[in-house]
Amino acid sequence: MLSYGFRRVLGVIPVVFLTSVIVFGLMHLLPGDPVQLLVGQAQAEVSAATIAALRHQYMLDQPIWLQYVAWARHVLVGDFGRSLQTHQPVWEVIRPRILPTVQIGLTAWIMAVLVAVPVGAITARHPGSLGDWVGTVTTLAGAAMPYFLIGGVLIYVVALRLGWLPPSGYVPLDQGLGASIRSTIMPAITLSLSLGAVIARQARASFAEVLRFPYIRSARAKGLSEIQVMTHHVFKNAMLPVVTILGVQLATMFSGAVVTETVFAIPGIGRLLVDSILGRDYPVVQAVVLFLTVIVVMANLLVDILYGLLDPRIRRA
Amino acid sequence: MSSNLAPTLPVPYGTRFVLRRFGAGAGRLLRNRLALVGLVISVFIVSVVLFASLLTPYGPNAIDYRAMLRGPSAAHLLGTDDLGRDVLTRTLYGGRLSLAVSLASVAMAVGGGVPLGLLAGYLGGVTDEIAMRLIDSLMALPPLVLALTITAVLGPSLVNAMLAIAVVALPGFARLVRGQVLSLRHNDYVLAARSVGVRPTLIVLRHVLPNVLNPVLVQAALGIGFAIITEASVSFLGLGAQPPTATWGSMVQVGFQYLDSAPWVAMAPAVMIFLAVLGFNMLGEGLRGALDPTARDEG
Repeated sequence: MLSYGFRRVLGVIPVVFLTSVIVFGLMHLLPGDPVQLLVGQAQAEVSAATIAALRHQYMLDQPIWLQYVAWARHVLVGDFGRSLQTHQPVWEVIRPRILPTVQIGLTAWIMAVLVAVPVGAITARHPGSLGDWVGTVTTLAGAAMPYFLIGGVLIYVVALRLGWLPPSGYVPLDQGLGASIRSTIMPAITLSLSLGAVIARQARASFAEVLRFPYIRSARAKGLSEIQVMTHHVFKNAMLPVVTILGVQLATMFSGAVVTETVFAIPGIGRLLVDSILGRDYPVVQAVVLFLTVIVVMANLLVDILYGLLDPRIRRA
Repeated sequence: MSSNLAPTLPVPYGTRFVLRRFGAGAGRLLRNRLALVGLVISVFIVSVVLFASLLTPYGPNAIDYRAMLRGPSAAHLLGTDDLGRDVLTRTLYGGRLSLAVSLASVAMAVGGGVPLGLLAGYLGGVTDEIAMRLIDSLMALPPLVLALTITAVLGPSLVNAMLAIAVVALPGFARLVRGQVLSLRHNDYVLAARSVGVRPTLIVLRHVLPNVLNPVLVQAALGIGFAIITEASVSFLGLGAQPPTATWGSMVQVGFQYLDSAPWVAMAPAVMIFLAVLGFNMLGEGLRGALDPTARDEG
């Protein structure tokens, strides 16, 4: 098991390295000189000597791979430079944005799992039936629903017409649990729909597969109730692929967070990314993209290791 | 492996065999409810956007200041937007661009991803290792985040959004094809071709490529759905189509400002996005069931 975990961890290193090269490279493909951006409006008053000094300070006069090494050394100790807009250290800009995204993401995740797994399990029991077909079409529809469609309908109906919930904005947890939940419930539903659809599909497929095994027939033959069969014999085996999907879907959730947080004006990581892209705040863009990617890679690593713990066959593969 | 390769045996390779199998697949496709419904929806959407000029008397950018943000009526079936432009007309013409961009980006992703996957899978070794690590890294980036970043780097425009979506979708095709090639390259017919001295390029093109086309077709149908939703999201966030160009995403972006007073402006294109994605996804899932004999009971 240890060597399996070790191999997995080693496998992550080239991916993280290449991702950082991609992120760094993308930002250096940008048209225009970062120093010009930094100097901004004051351009006319800044002497050529100052600009040259700045270029030297930011190593822009060095070969690109040296720039990468210098950048990577700072990033490794958590120094992403300063925001071009607020001049704060980038990490200070990102940190307050984490909680809203995590809160909404976690709520969405829990809702999706609680609804989707039972739906998958139930539709898997009667493949080919009308209920199964309806389930398949519903999950496909859920996956096809753009976030701004669900979000728009929720805002229009629940917030604007019925007035039950605020249409947008975010109330932090420490300013009242109730108000915080009220401000995050619609974004969470929006985010959970396509996630739930994907989980339901995977759950249906893997429950259907497990249900075909002979030991299920044996369990039924010895007189166990259907509930007992499902909970004792099917559930654990069928959940393994679902756990994998949860890891893979984290990347999709971050994509969803970008749109959802824009729709509901949530000051989270996704919104920060859009704002920094539109505001050309490249150090922040760089840091956010890298941050999200590392989380995705780590989550998948965790799932891989968990998978190895739960299923000894994987370790030997 | 049999030493006697009688030419009359139905050896599972070659373009003609695949075409025949594809014919059988098309028959099953029409019997597959999911695929059929998906096909009907996709064909319907493609038709209405293609024949937009026959279906509506207005131009997509025709401004009418006397009829701004009007609700649905006989003159404007889906109402008008903030500049008095007909929402139905813009939805149909916008759909042309949205679909064209999605099709083009998937075509580029297939055009780049399939050769890359073939090369990596067939050559193996260092080429494969490098290509796969690169693909892993690209796939570790959240898709929309990568698309947004690339669009930002290239500059906000519809063409750049298209390129960005192609880059995001490409690794999936490469990985799929590479996996298929790895499982095919030790098949008897590939070994047989190699043993009689067929050139590697010819083996890949004649014996391997035709056999990976079916899963690529499925992935492409699903990829169109993904591309439509990604283009819409990029445009919705203001980095895709620029005004006054209508695409579904940019229309939703404008419509969101009037969600309270004129919800139809955002809803019409949003529903079209939903229908188009649903149609192509159902088609893709149905194709998967129809082309893969082992999954015939699905759907």
